[in-house]
Amino acid sequence: MINKKTNTLLALIFTIVIAIFTSLAARADGMVVDKVYHPYVVANEQSFEWRLMSSQTSAENVLAQRIGYGQSLLEDLAVEFFIIGERDETGDFKLQATEIEARWMLTEQGQYWADWGVLFEFEKQRNSDRYEATTGLIFEKEFNKNSLTLNFFAIREWGNDIQNEWELEFRAQYRYRYLPELQPSIEFYTGEDFVGLGPGFMGVHRFEGQKQLKWEAGFITEVSHKGKNHTLRFAVEYEF
Amino acid sequence: MQPQRNLQASLIYSTLSQLFCAIVFIASIWSQYAYAKNKVYYLTIKDHIFTPSTLAIPANVKVKIIIENKDNVAEEFDSFDLNREKVIFAGKKSTIYVGPLPAGTYEYFGEFHPNTARGKIIVVEETP
Repeated sequence: MINKKTNTLLALIFTIVIAIFTSLAARADGMVVDKVYHPYVVANEQSFEWRLMSSQTSAENVLAQRIGYGQSLLEDLAVEFFIIGERDETGDFKLQATEIEARWMLTEQGQYWADWGVLFEFEKQRNSDRYEATTGLIFEKEFNKNSLTLNFFAIREWGNDIQNEWELEFRAQYRYRYLPELQPSIEFYTGEDFVGLGPGFMGVHRFEGQKQLKWEAGFITEVSHKGKNHTLRFAVEYEF
Repeated sequence: MQPQRNLQASLIYSTLSQLFCAIVFIASIWSQYAYAKNKVYYLTIKDHIFTPSTLAIPANVKVKIIIENKDNVAEEFDSFDLNREKVIFAGKKSTIYVGPLPAGTYEYFGEFHPNTARGKIIVVEETP
């Protein structure tokens, strides 16, 4: 955990970096709709996670799934390993990539005006020379039973089989913590030429000890282009 | 039409980026000066029981609660009402921040011993 001055300095540095990256935007290659990350880490926690993203346009149907194992290494640091499968252009579903992800909780929940975290990801495509590194800021602010979560990610893609470029993604979720099992939300995603908006929900069911099952889903519609472009996202996470 | 659509998306994206930057900047400054020193309250875990089991705190202010775990096993403070989840290691102290909250009753429990480790935080309006 960091102190107040370092926290502020770090946030300001990110502000400047994000502002610089804004001018470096390029065309997005991947699926923008994925998951809105929260900045919190709980100590001594392990998890298995399954995510599904199904995107439909009038021209194609893209399906991506990922399975991950995660563990908190410190009170404020968690890592997760993923294997990612995607349906390719021939319609076959294949193992496509592996990824390591780290979340660092910068501030104690509720200590400051808002809660902050940082995400780091590194992804390697399996059968091609393509790499992707992501870093960005996670923000969450509580208003009584409501939570506003914002993610701003800068992504660098490189390799012999891909054009080297910077990409940017912004994700937002406004959630009402109605019941543990049902927390409806509105989600918003942008990634260069994609702007999507739609309803979602998340929930949690607790078993004994640290064991709990979390689920979340969203149905996101592209709003800046004409034509069909919907994405269904779904995730289940078992924590223990 | 495609370039025009991309331009529209880029404009929305750019506006959002700038909005986000503004939020980050304002929040950074605000977090330095917004709050005076938080009032401190204490909870103890002993024999898998929170003491006091009912803690009264003032409404509409942020407070700091220091939880001391006197047991020789860890406990996890968990509350959906308060939106907090925190592991308190054996023989250690840990801090949570709650509020500003409206008046009401907020329940919490210890995830590892939910039958005995239960408590309430009563948020009360302070009379001037």
